[in-house]
Formats: sequence, C-alpha cells, structure tokens
Amino acid sequence: MSVPKKTSAPVADRTRAEAGLPGRALPISRWIVTGIILLAIVLFFVIAGDDWFTIVNNTLIAAIAALALNVLSGYTGQVSLGLAFFMAIGAYTAALLGGTQPTGPLDSQGFALPWIIWLPAAGIVAALVGALVGPTALRLKGFYLGIVTLALVFIGQYLFINLRAVTGGPQGRTFPVPAIGSATFDQQNTFLGLALTSGQQYFLLILPILVLAALFVANVARTRAGRAFRAVRDHEIGAAMMGVNLFEVKMGAFVLSSFLAGIAGALFASYNSYVIPGYWDLTLSIQFIAAIIIGGVASIWGSLLGAAFVFGLPQVIDHFSLLPPPSGNGGLSSGDLNTLIYGALIILFLLFEPNGLIGLVGRFQRTLRASANEKEESSDPAEISDLPFSSNSH
Amino acid sequence: MAYFLQLVFAGIALGCIYALIGLGFSIIFKASEVINFAQGELLLVGAYIVSGGVFVWHLPFLLALVLGIAITVLIGLLFERFLLRRMLGRPPFTLLMMTIGLDIILLTSVIVIWGSQPLPAASPFGVSSGFNLGGVHFATNDLWTIGITVVLCALLFAFFRFTKYGLAMRATALDQEAALAVGINIRRVYALAWGMAAGIATLGGVFLAIGSFTITPTLGSIALLAFPAIILGGLDSVSGAVVGGLVIGLALDLTAGYESNLATVLGAGFHDIMPYLLMILVLLIRPYGLFGSRKVERI
Amino acid sequence: MNVSSTGEQDTTSAALLSVEDLTVRFAGVKALSEVSFQVQSGALFAVIGPNGAGKTSLFNVLSRVYQPTTGRVTFAGRDLLRLKPHQVARAGIARTLQSLGQFPSMSVLDYLLLGRHTRMSSGILSGGLYLGPTRQEERKNRAYCLHLLDLLDLARQSSLPLGSLPYGLQKRADLARALALEPKLLLLDEPVAGMNVEETAEIAAILAEVQEQLGVTQILVEHDMALVMGIADRVLVLDFGRIIALGTPAEVQAHPDVIKAYLGETLGENTPLSAPIPTDTSH
Repeated sequence: MSVPKKTSAPVADRTRAEAGLPGRALPISRWIVTGIILLAIVLFFVIAGDDWFTIVNNTLIAAIAALALNVLSGYTGQVSLGLAFFMAIGAYTAALLGGTQPTGPLDSQGFALPWIIWLPAAGIVAALVGALVGPTALRLKGFYLGIVTLALVFIGQYLFINLRAVTGGPQGRTFPVPAIGSATFDQQNTFLGLALTSGQQYFLLILPILVLAALFVANVARTRAGRAFRAVRDHEIGAAMMGVNLFEVKMGAFVLSSFLAGIAGALFASYNSYVIPGYWDLTLSIQFIAAIIIGGVASIWGSLLGAAFVFGLPQVIDHFSLLPPPSGNGGLSSGDLNTLIYGALIILFLLFEPNGLIGLVGRFQRTLRASANEKEESSDPAEISDLPFSSNSH
Repeated sequence: MAYFLQLVFAGIALGCIYALIGLGFSIIFKASEVINFAQGELLLVGAYIVSGGVFVWHLPFLLALVLGIAITVLIGLLFERFLLRRMLGRPPFTLLMMTIGLDIILLTSVIVIWGSQPLPAASPFGVSSGFNLGGVHFATNDLWTIGITVVLCALLFAFFRFTKYGLAMRATALDQEAALAVGINIRRVYALAWGMAAGIATLGGVFLAIGSFTITPTLGSIALLAFPAIILGGLDSVSGAVVGGLVIGLALDLTAGYESNLATVLGAGFHDIMPYLLMILVLLIRPYGLFGSRKVERI
Repeated sequence: MNVSSTGEQDTTSAALLSVEDLTVRFAGVKALSEVSFQVQSGALFAVIGPNGAGKTSLFNVLSRVYQPTTGRVTFAGRDLLRLKPHQVARAGIARTLQSLGQFPSMSVLDYLLLGRHTRMSSGILSGGLYLGPTRQEERKNRAYCLHLLDLLDLARQSSLPLGSLPYGLQKRADLARALALEPKLLLLDEPVAGMNVEETAEIAAILAEVQEQLGVTQILVEHDMALVMGIADRVLVLDFGRIIALGTPAEVQAHPDVIKAYLGETLGENTPLSAPIPTDTSH
C-alpha cells in the first residue's frame, strides 16, 4: 500500500474545516467552547467602550463579506476580484431606498424607506446584478474570469463617480441609519429600560445577521449544493460527468455571493455613515481575498478569523497607537505595516498552511489528540488519520 | 487631423509600454504557467529606483537605470527561487495569489521607503524635447519607447528562435515534463523568464515615468491596464501581448483625447474603463482572447 | 456465432446501448472509425486495444465530452447524442474517472453523495434553510451511501478525505461513487490500472457482484487481460480507431488480427493473452 502523499496532512483536515467546524472535538468540549463564546459576547457587550464596538462591528461586517467571497471563490473555486463592486451595489441600493429625501437639486436621492426594506433589498439588488453579469463572466475561467471581475470594479467606480444623484459623486454621500420607530441607531436610545449606545444597537443588528448568514452557508456547504460547489472547484469535467450542471451551480454561487456582499456593503456604509465611491476599489477586493486565504478558504470560521485579521487587527493597532499614522513622506505607518504583514502572510500561508488559520487550529488539535491518544476514550473507530505518520509529514 | 495623428502616435507609444509589460508577463506565463499579478509593481519598483537613484542619491541616469534593472531582476529571481518554486504543482489560483502577495509587499515597500508624495521622473532627455512634423509633436520619450520596444521584440524573436535558451523556454512552455525529460534545466528557464520579465518591466516603468513627468505609487495601477491588454491578446500568446498592448494604448489615448467632446454623456474618467470594455467585447467573441488557446484538460 | 472484423449485429433482444458507425475525428486524426456494436442489458462488455486505439475516445463520446463527426448512439431507446454532458448522469450512465486525485479534500462519504447528485433535489435555498424535506433527503441518502460503503468495505474510511487514501482505496471509492448513482450503465475507465494481483481480484469480484446482484450493465476499458478475459461476456477490440474483433473472450483471443495488433506480424511465444493459444493456427 502506498504511503499517503505529503499533501495529505493539510488536506486531511480540510473536510472538517469545510464543515465549518474548527476541528472534531468531543461533544462536551464543544458545549464548553460555545458557552465560553457566549459569555465572551455578553461580557463584551456590557463592558466594552465605543472604540471597541467600532472595531468589532466593522470586523463582523467584514466577516459577512468574507463569507460571500468564500462561497464564490473558496467553495466554488471561481476567481473573483469583484467583491468590492457588489458591496457597492448593496450600499447604493440601501442609500437610494433608505436615504433621506432630497431637499434640493444637489442632494443625493433617497426614498426614506425603513431598514427592513433597504437592507434585504441591498442584498437582492446585488444578487440581481450578479445574475445579470454571471452568464457572461462565468463562461470564462481562471485568470480570464479574474480580470473580468476586476473590470467590474473599475467600471463600477466609473459609474459611481458619475451617477451623482445616487452616489454623491466623488465626494460621496451619507447612508441611511436603521431605526426602530423614532429611535435611530446613530444615537443613544433606551429600549425596554436599557440605555444602549449606537455601537451596541448596531451590534445587535449585525451579529444576528452574521450568524444567520454563517448558518445558511454552513448548511449549503453540507448539502447537495455545497458538494456541487466543491466538485466544480476541484474538477469541472468530472463534476459534469456526475450530473452537475456547471452553469447553474456557478450562477448559484455567484448570486448567493453577490447577495451576501450586498448586505455587507449596505451594513458597512450605514455603520460608517459616509463613504466615497473611491472606497469600493480593487484594494478592498484584494483585502478580502487575503482574508479568506489567511483565515481559511472554504471555511465558515475561517471567514471570521480572516476578517478579524485583515480588518480588525489594523484598527486594534491604531487604537493602541502602536505606530504613527501615514505621513506621506515614507516611514512605517500602521496601515503600511498591516498591509505588509498581510501581504507576507498570504505568501506564508500559501506556502506552509494552505488551509489558513483554521488549518493551523486543526493541526494544533491533532497534535493535542495524538499526545492524549491513550487516554482518549473515543467511540469512533480507529482511523488512518490517528496514526502518527499522517500528521508528522511537516 | 493633426490632433488625431498626435493621439495615434502617443497611443502607439503608450501601447508599446503596455506591450512591454505584457511581454514580460507572457514570458513568465509561457515558461511556468504562473500569472504574475505583480508585474505592474515590478515596473513601479524599477521606476522608483531609477528616479530615486537620480534625484535622491544623485546618480547619473544610466547608472540608475542599470541599478534599477539589476534590483528588479534580483527581486524577480529571489521571488521565483525561494517562494514560487516551492509551489510547483499547486493550482493556478494559489500561484496567482502568491503573486498578489508579492504585489502588495512591493507596493507597500515603495510607499514606506519613498513616501506617497510625487517624485520627479528621471529622464535622460528634456521633458519637451522632440521634433514637430506636420503639426504633430513627436516626443523624444515616445520615440525612444517605440524604438526600444521594436528592438526588444526583434531581440526576443531572435532569442526564442535561434538561441539554445530560447528554445529551452519554448519547450518548457509547451510541455514541462517533456522538457525535463530531454534534459532541459527547468529551474534555469524559470529564473531566466523571471529575470527577463523584471528587466523589461523596469524599462517600461522608466518610459512610463518619463511620460508622466512625476511618479507616485499609483504608477503600478496604470500598469494594471496591461492586464486587459494581455487578456485581450490571449494569455498564452506572446504576440498577443504585444498586439493587445498596442490596441489598449491606442484605445486609451484616442478615448482620452476625444472624451471631452462627449463629457455630458460619458462623464469623467471614461477612458479609464475603455480598455476593460474592449476586453469584455473581445472575450464575448473569443473567450480566450484574440490569439489565446484553450487548455486541454484530462478527464 | 460468427466473428467478423467489422462488428456484428445482434438483433435478438433489445440492446441497452447501441452504437452505429461512430466516427470521431479531430485535427486530421481519426480517433474512431465507423465503430458499431451493441451492449445487452445486464452484460459485462469489455473494450480493449493497444494504447491510442480509441478506447477513451469512445468513453468520451458516451460521456458527451466529445462530439462525434458521424454516427449514432442510442441508449435505452433514446438518442444519447442529443444530451449535454451533465445530462448523461441523469440518463443513468455513470463513469469512473481515469485519473485520480481530482477531489482530494472531499470525504469519501461526501464523494459518494456527490455521485448521488442527480438522485437528490435540494438546491441552494432549500439546502441553506435545511428544513424538513432537505434533512430527510440528506439522511436517507447518507444512509444509502454508508450502506454502499459497507458493501465495498470502505465504511471505516467514510469520513476521511479522498486524497489521504492509498491508491487502491481511492479507485474503490471512485467505483463506489459511480455505483451510488444507481446507474443503468456503468462505464469503467481502467478500474484496475496500477493495482496488484490481490487488489485486481477484489475489484473483479466486486464487478462480478455488481453484474449478478445489481444487474447493472457494465462497459470496461482495460489493459489487464486476465481481468477482461475472466469476467467479460463479450469483448470489443479496437486498433487505430477501428474494430478488429468482437465476440466472446475465447473467440477474441484466438483472432489472428487481435494477436497481430498486440504482437506485430510474427506470433511470439509469450502472449499477453492469458488463455492458452489454440494449436491449430494454420489458417
């Protein structure tokens, strides 16, 4: 019998990673972990200051977008540099539907609809645009597809700069704020006797959306559609021979991805309340690609970890003023350092741990399990992966 | 009419710059099937070293040019040798991402070292030097660009046709395993490809810089337009890269030159997306570009 | 029974698969030339021939990856050539992969479930919401696949990624995946390539069981003569895209054109064909 190839170790945990779980744990410890997470969330909610809410909220929003990119590129293997474009579509849909009505000819358009309309609409319109663009784009493969999605970003920027009525032109515009009744989320309000800050209100909106999105994608991943995604990613012709309709599957992934990206874009714009069209650029798309590589492709937790790293960490560094802000004259600023780091990390992870941080976690868990092997009373039958050689090949 | 010819001439010169970038890119792709997203940033680094060399370190232009080429070639070789080579056999998306990582590091390094304020572009000739003919100004820079590009293309043609290493590169591009089997040193071929691409990128960067009068870190994103050129011409076609570059350069300049007439309809910045629109148009008809070919897949 | 060098027409019972005058030509090369044959339902039909004979091209036509230049293919009474590649599985034809390692990160169980893609119906929305009907569908199909893995002695590896399995088990998992479709016709692309004697025997037993117990029609492309002659009902021999023999294993082994194709003009003492050569070779 042949010895498993060198790549089997990182690959061995991909399945578990792809199920969205950081690793196989005993049922009790999974409850403990969940409990700890919930406790941490509650503690954070009660204790943290506004600055921290900003960091966390933006990270959670980024996680939704990272999830979107994972659906298209991580699970389905379609090279896309166009995430920024779809986020922008979502944001401007929200702006158009929910923005305050214009009082003069220079004001941006808005229909002042409530968030319960503009937020889902942001996703839906982005999904529709994805459905429009998809048939043309998805005929292409690999780098050809990548550059066409890149084209979307640039064409989008051109459109956004020129459609002043919707986007506010190069100077940008304000974006709508969710509200319950007359209580708008951009100020402190009292609900049920509790005084909540703006950050806290947004947190209570964003976190459930992220959780729902994550659950949805996790479910897709472990059912027929998710298997079809991965089949398309791994070997298209083989997938077709198994009955997978390549076009439908790619379109489905594209539309789902665009939907989630639209929601994330709308949330981001709303939370940061003022965005210029130049924000939705290639750099943003690339940051998300970095996020899913660093966090772990085709992984739910990987999307969150990656978003935390690429979007949350620089804000944390700024918060502690570890580095000076960019001065334009050279020298290392915090933004530059972070960019250098994630550029280097892309390369390092691709070289040594293609499954990203989730892969590292999985490897760590396996090492722990291997050393506790005798003591462990697992009801699972012995498997090849329990043997030492499959985890020691690095 | 003179205006039109002026635009055409400038467009051809710009097209030559894109052709140079595309050439470097194509050489790497043909030799090793790697898509070098960082090609534009190599150009940026090269341009900065040359200009920085002249204005910050007060070197003579030619020395700065040689230094620029040497350093970018070194970067290319080191990247290929120590990072990319370990990734052999990985899926193309992964390799592409590696080069995106390189791209990010190069861009940020330039910003950290030189800052984001504009740096004057080093040039061996005066900014407005050139001669006029029939109402058209033939800038020296543009003439040199076109000239060097033509010479380079001819040299590359001869290289690929008549030299041992050129043949080796072509063989590797066709079938790596077969090339290995006949004793071709693939590692040297890769190194050669990356070295050549880096050197050509620097040349392109210098010409682009001179044409732009000053350089900022955004020079790399101008080079980004080389990608639609490459795609339009066909990823795996060297002549496609040249044709694509010329088409894009011409389209860019002509559009930029006439768009003020249509400003009310088109708004601002239409010429920036013209290359992408052209590319999409071509891909609709020929999904692998004008001269590209389909890859054969195993079942 | 007659053996002709251009193929025979058996008109007694309705054939599951009927190939008529199939020609595949690209870039000036004729991969297949006027190939005609029929496969009866429930039969184990083998296609052999030297490398480049056109065996894989034949499979690629059946999988609708290649478009033939001329010819007709009828499967279960329907025109197969009207189908697109992804419709072939739904029509009931499953095919094993020629090269492995294409789905390294999928677990064995997920891979089999992928094989059941056309037998399931949940999509993105129903999958994401994971409501009752989807849950049931997953449960039922998972159970079916685990049962299938049990039959093929792969149950222990069900949650392992394919890429971590040794070569022989990967091939077996691929076979299981093809069977998971519950196909009417199973196309086996070199199912024992690279296997040793024991592994080949295991596969042979599985294929025989598939024929006897499941009644699945099989077409086998193989180089391993022992396997082919041992389990095939009928054998088609291709050389340079043409049929040079069609009949039972014994008939084909004795056929002079077949011997010539494998050995060249002169008859050697060690033939690749495992059965003894009939002594009467005077014609």
